[in-house]
Amino acid sequence: MAGEFFIEFEQFVMKQRKVALVTGCANGIGRASALSLARSGMDLVLVDIEQEGLDVLRKNVIDLGSRSAVICGDCQDEHILDEVFEFAQRDFGAIDVLVNNLGRSAREHASSFLDSSPDTWSAVLDISLMTTLRVTHRAAPSMKRRGWGRIINMSSDTALIGDEGLADYAAAKSGLLGFTRVLARELGSYGITVNAICPGAIKTRAHDHLKPSILEKIKSTIPMNRVGEPEEVAGLVSFLSGDGASYITGQALAINGGRYML
Amino acid sequence: MNKNRLTERKILVTGGGAGIGQECVSKCLSEGATVAVLDRKLDKLEKNLEKDVSINSTVLVEVDISVGEQVCRGVKQAAQELGGLDGVVNSAGIDLVSEFDDMNWDDWSKVLDVNLTGAIHVCQQALPYLRLNRSSSIVNIASGAGLVPIQNRVAYCASKAGLIMASKSLAMDLASSDIRVNAVCPGAVDTDLFRQNIRDESDIEQVKSRYAMNRLGEVSEIADVVIFLLSDEASLITGSALAVDGGRVFH
Repeated sequence: MAGEFFIEFEQFVMKQRKVALVTGCANGIGRASALSLARSGMDLVLVDIEQEGLDVLRKNVIDLGSRSAVICGDCQDEHILDEVFEFAQRDFGAIDVLVNNLGRSAREHASSFLDSSPDTWSAVLDISLMTTLRVTHRAAPSMKRRGWGRIINMSSDTALIGDEGLADYAAAKSGLLGFTRVLARELGSYGITVNAICPGAIKTRAHDHLKPSILEKIKSTIPMNRVGEPEEVAGLVSFLSGDGASYITGQALAINGGRYML
Repeated sequence: MNKNRLTERKILVTGGGAGIGQECVSKCLSEGATVAVLDRKLDKLEKNLEKDVSINSTVLVEVDISVGEQVCRGVKQAAQELGGLDGVVNSAGIDLVSEFDDMNWDDWSKVLDVNLTGAIHVCQQALPYLRLNRSSSIVNIASGAGLVPIQNRVAYCASKAGLIMASKSLAMDLASSDIRVNAVCPGAVDTDLFRQNIRDESDIEQVKSRYAMNRLGEVSEIADVVIFLLSDEASLITGSALAVDGGRVFH
C-alpha cells in the first residue's frame, strides 16, 4: 500500500516539475542558465558538443536535486536532434521551457564584412540562427498541445548596436528578434510566451581571450563600467521561465549594464 | 511565490493606494521589504492592510504627486520613517482619453505633471537617500502606450514616452553610483484606471484583440516584474523599457 502511494506521489511530483531544454550549455551563459533553472526546481535536458563540460554540469545539476538527460552532440545535426527529443520524451514526457542558447560568432575568423567569406557567414548563420529554428520547430508543438510553454532565444545587443567585425553574427542575432516576434504572435493564445534576451559584454570564454586594451575599451561603453557575469543573464532566463513573467511576450530584453538602452 | 528577495530593503511606492501600485506594495511586503506609500487616496489601501500585520511597518503619506512641495515633504517623511530608501517604484499615473481637437490644455498639463514631472521629481527627491546604499533600484511604471501609440491618448502616450526616456537618461547618469533605473511598460491591465474608460464587454474584447495573448494583464503580472527589477536578480539590467503586455508592442 505504502509503496503504491509512493509511486503515485512520485508521479504527481514529477508532473509538477517543469522540464527545460538548454542548448549549448557546457559553458558560459548556457551553463549558468541550466544551473539557475535547476535551482528553481526544473529538470533538465542538456545538449552540447563538449563532453567534459557536460559531465561537470550534470553532476552540479544532480547536486541541486534535479534530474537530467544529457546528450553530447551537435544541435546542427538532425540525427542528434532526433536523439535529444527521443530522450526528452522518454525521460520526461515533454519540454516545457526551451532556452535556445546555442550560437557563436566567427571568433578567430571574424573580420570586416568586405574581408569575410560566404562560407563563414553560412557557418555563423547556421549555428546562431537556423539551429534555433530547428530546435524550436521540434519543441513547440507539444507546448501548444499542452497550452503552456516558454521559449527564450539568446540574441545579443550586437543585434541592436552592430559591432564592427560581426556582420554575420549581428545578422543572425537580429534574425532571432524577428523570429521571436512572429512566434510570439503565432503561439500567444496557446499560453506560450516567446522572448529574446540581448546580453551585452559577459564574462565567458570568448571574453577571456580579449586583450586588456580591448576590454577597457568595451567597459568604457558600458554605463555601469563593468562586464556582466553569466549568472546575471541566467537570472533573467530563470525569471522569464517562471510564473512572474506570464505576461511578457514578443520582447527583446537587453541585459548589458546600460550599453544599449532598449 | 515568496522568496524574500527584498529582505531589509526600504522601498517607496507612489500610487500605492490602488491598482498596480497597490499590488507592488503587497508584493514588496511579502518579499521582506518595508514600504512607504505616497498617494492621493489611501483609504482603499488602509482597509486592505488592516488585515495584514505588515501595517505596523508601512508608512502611508497622503501626497498629490503633481504638487512639488508635497512630493518634497512626502519623500522626506518616507525616508525618515523607513530609515532610508534603496528602492523607488513610481506607479502614480492618470489616464486621459480625448480626441485631439477637443483636448483641454489643463488636462494635458495635469497628465504630464503626474505621469512625467511628478515621477521624475520623486526620483530627484529620493536620490540623496538612494546614494547612501551600496546599490539601489528605481522602477518607473510607464506604459506600452509610451512605445507604440494607442488612439485618442496624445497626452498619455507622450507622458509615458517621456517617462521612458527620462528613465534611460537617469540610468545613464546614475549607473556609476550603482543606481539602476528601468521602466516597466504594461499593456492593458485590469484595474480601476483601465475600467474608467471602458463602457461594456465589447470594448474589452476590442482591447484584448490588440494583444497576441488575447487577454488583459493582471496586476500581479506587472508587480512580479517590478519586484524582479527591484531585486539583485536584475543587477545587470539598467536603462531598459521592459514591456509586459502579452504581445502588442514587440519592443
